[in-house]
Amino acid sequence: MPFRVLKDALTDGLAARLGRLSLPRRRPIETPNFIAVASRGVVPHLTPDNITRHTSFGGAHMALEDFLDKKEPAILNVPPSQSKVLHSFTAFPQHLATVLGPRRCPPVRTPSGNGSKSLTIWTSNGGASLTIAEYATYVEKLQPDIAVGPADLFHTSPTPSKKLVRMAERTEDWMDQFLLDGHGRPDRLRDADVAIFAPVLSAPYPIQWQYLNSLAEDHAGHLSGLALYGVDILPEVTENHESLVPLARLSMQLPPSPQDVLAQVAAGIDVCTIPFVNSASDAGVALAFQFPPPVAGVAGDLQGPGVTAATATPRPLGIDMWSPDHVTSPSPFVEGCPCYACTKHHRAYVHHLLRAHEMLAWTLLQIHNHHVLSAFFESIRCVLETAPGAAFREYVRSFADTYESEIPLGTGTRPRVRGYHFKSEGGEGKANTPRWEKYDENAQLTTASNAHNQTENGGDEHEGQWHATLGCHSDAQQGSTK
Amino acid sequence: MASSTIGSSAALTFELGARCSTTRARASILTLPHGPVRLPVFMPVATQASLKGLTPEQLEETGCRLCLNNTYHLGLKPGQDVLASVGGAHKFQGWNHNLLTDSGGFQMVSLLKLANVTEEGVRFLSPHDGSPMLLTPEHSISLQNTIGSDIIMQLDDVLVTTSPDKVRMRQAMERSVRWLDRCIAAHKNPTTQNLFCIIQGGLDVEMRRECCRQMLERDTPGIAIGGLSGGEAKVDFCKVVETCTEMLPELKPRYVMGIGYPEDLVVSVALGADMFDCVWPTRTARFGNAITKHGVLNLRNAQFGNDFGPIEEGCGCLCCRPQHLGVTRAFISHNAAKETVAAHLLTIHNVWYQLNLMKQVRQSIIEDRFPAFLRQFFSDLYDDKSKYPEWAVDALKRVGVDLLNDDA
Repeated sequence: MPFRVLKDALTDGLAARLGRLSLPRRRPIETPNFIAVASRGVVPHLTPDNITRHTSFGGAHMALEDFLDKKEPAILNVPPSQSKVLHSFTAFPQHLATVLGPRRCPPVRTPSGNGSKSLTIWTSNGGASLTIAEYATYVEKLQPDIAVGPADLFHTSPTPSKKLVRMAERTEDWMDQFLLDGHGRPDRLRDADVAIFAPVLSAPYPIQWQYLNSLAEDHAGHLSGLALYGVDILPEVTENHESLVPLARLSMQLPPSPQDVLAQVAAGIDVCTIPFVNSASDAGVALAFQFPPPVAGVAGDLQGPGVTAATATPRPLGIDMWSPDHVTSPSPFVEGCPCYACTKHHRAYVHHLLRAHEMLAWTLLQIHNHHVLSAFFESIRCVLETAPGAAFREYVRSFADTYESEIPLGTGTRPRVRGYHFKSEGGEGKANTPRWEKYDENAQLTTASNAHNQTENGGDEHEGQWHATLGCHSDAQQGSTK
Repeated sequence: MASSTIGSSAALTFELGARCSTTRARASILTLPHGPVRLPVFMPVATQASLKGLTPEQLEETGCRLCLNNTYHLGLKPGQDVLASVGGAHKFQGWNHNLLTDSGGFQMVSLLKLANVTEEGVRFLSPHDGSPMLLTPEHSISLQNTIGSDIIMQLDDVLVTTSPDKVRMRQAMERSVRWLDRCIAAHKNPTTQNLFCIIQGGLDVEMRRECCRQMLERDTPGIAIGGLSGGEAKVDFCKVVETCTEMLPELKPRYVMGIGYPEDLVVSVALGADMFDCVWPTRTARFGNAITKHGVLNLRNAQFGNDFGPIEEGCGCLCCRPQHLGVTRAFISHNAAKETVAAHLLTIHNVWYQLNLMKQVRQSIIEDRFPAFLRQFFSDLYDDKSKYPEWAVDALKRVGVDLLNDDA
């Protein structure tokens, strides 16, 4: 059993707990904690050396569908080595854990839902279906450190419907098949150091009761953890299925904000999956929250507990680095932050990099934003270890008072989004304004006086075009002298 | 004795360490305000104060100690005020090694249609708002002084070398000399920044010679050969480089602008040049192309999808070094043009390749086996001597290396 509960914090009705997830060959993950979210086997914008040197998260979620865009996926042909196949293929740092699920976090909506015997997936080459047997085979071949079992999830809206019953039934069938149809697969996976996490749906307990019962009665011995697509069900799971309590709890309910992360921790989640770190970086937003929240009125205070003045304006959870406020700022993203980006660079540079569409902007933001989350969880663990449950709850409350409820959206352009990232639902309009347009001399001249600074420079090394507002002498008179 | 191998000016020293006994190749150490640089050297281009996704730390690890920024782009973004307020480009981008800035002149080659060169400077219309702009030698130097780069370039009047207009070419050459005088006069930091002249004159070797003579009279700390890499025939390119290096003083660095293909680099070194820059290695990385000693591989090609070898066997870069990151061709293929990380990794590889190539060139010059190095280089690159590019064979023959005849 890779997971050990170190401290049950069940005092004062708080379900949060401290633990340690020790996966073979990997650095132990102290919990509560989070894992990064990978895309096509990489944590976006972070090369493996940057991950090793400048981040401290314990692992990343990878999606099987990201590796299945070819008829004969290359990942099946990785030559045997001392490294596990998924690590080997992705050049993922050896001290970090991989968590493999069938689909991306969050998944792109597929044109149709799952079949009765197969998952519907979306690759960079379009939709495909993946039978449960195939998924199980891939898990065996790829050897992730943690494999999330197959679940029949909501296809479109997550509002309760009559489909819930069918989802629970299918998931139960699929897990039976995943664990029992493979002639000793759980043993083989155990020997290959693959921990199995069983999915738990975001559905009311009575609907999942039978499924959870089968997990607890028939499969608990094969399971190392639960992957919860909804965390609300945890109290009932704990109360009714004792054999599932010692299992690690990975949240697959993707939290939109740190407040939701705190709620998941309070509910007893051990490891959170947090895509908002990546999306904040892509949006040019540097996360800027800490736990416990700083004392009201003392800006930049990194010290612990404090009384929050209810009247204070809520602080933003992140800083939009696109804002012209930072154009000459020599400050780090967050004063006192020890991350590489904050100690070696400054806001003025990152603001420039964003405006210049230089990829390094996203790299530096990723380093910082992952650091903020690591520090956030470290403090959570510290509070859980040293303070009573009531104090934790008080901090959670003051966190909600101190910060705005949503992460800022960012005001500039983002990295290019591709089909496997995102599928248009129609009518959204373009996310980014086009960087290149056909040059039309006449049109340009007529707009001479009012188009200043409207379009971002698409300059790419020496092929860069001349653009507005060159920082050099500009003739005083408007209009053209052509 | 030392005096015969060391040249120095207010902000640099140039120490000639070794000369090839056959070709004109030299190995030297150029000491700039931010430390020594071993020549010959390839300088990667961090156009907008960032080397395409690499952290300064990662760039440093490739062995780079001198890279380029582009004055023109930095003038646009972040702009002179910001650079002045932050305290120059080194601080701005967190790069503690040397920087070289180009003057903005190169852009005229590609964008001549939009630019109108007068004696005063380059007048052009912004393609985005059509507002008239003027870049003068004084302003270019003022920008570069604010940037604080260790080597700054004069503003020159650049024409495409292939231009048939002799009159205009002569005018451009002569104007470049006059602009050099204005640049020298405008340069505020001669003790901390080195202003290099740029020899112009198109493909006309006589005009190049004349330009050399006039420029050399101005005694700048270093000399660049400009206007090349604009689509001229390689034969003509070699003749120009050869003509110029013949006239240049031994104890000053010689920079051929805009050169980056491995063949061009090694031939130019044989012709006596020391410094080179080009965006090609980093740009081509973003298209999924890996530079190797056996040629350029497009890793997006299906054949690499199942190739689990390193990007280049035997390469010492962060990606390829054994027991290190363990990046495979298959993995780059999987993510090329899909995830920025693939571009970052290939950029690390390509920059390392270019710098290492020059390091090997340098070592072979020091050990006086550069001709043998050239033979090995071309035989690695082409499986058959009949495929060797004629221009390279001819150029090297003129400096005493016959690639087609092993005994020479």
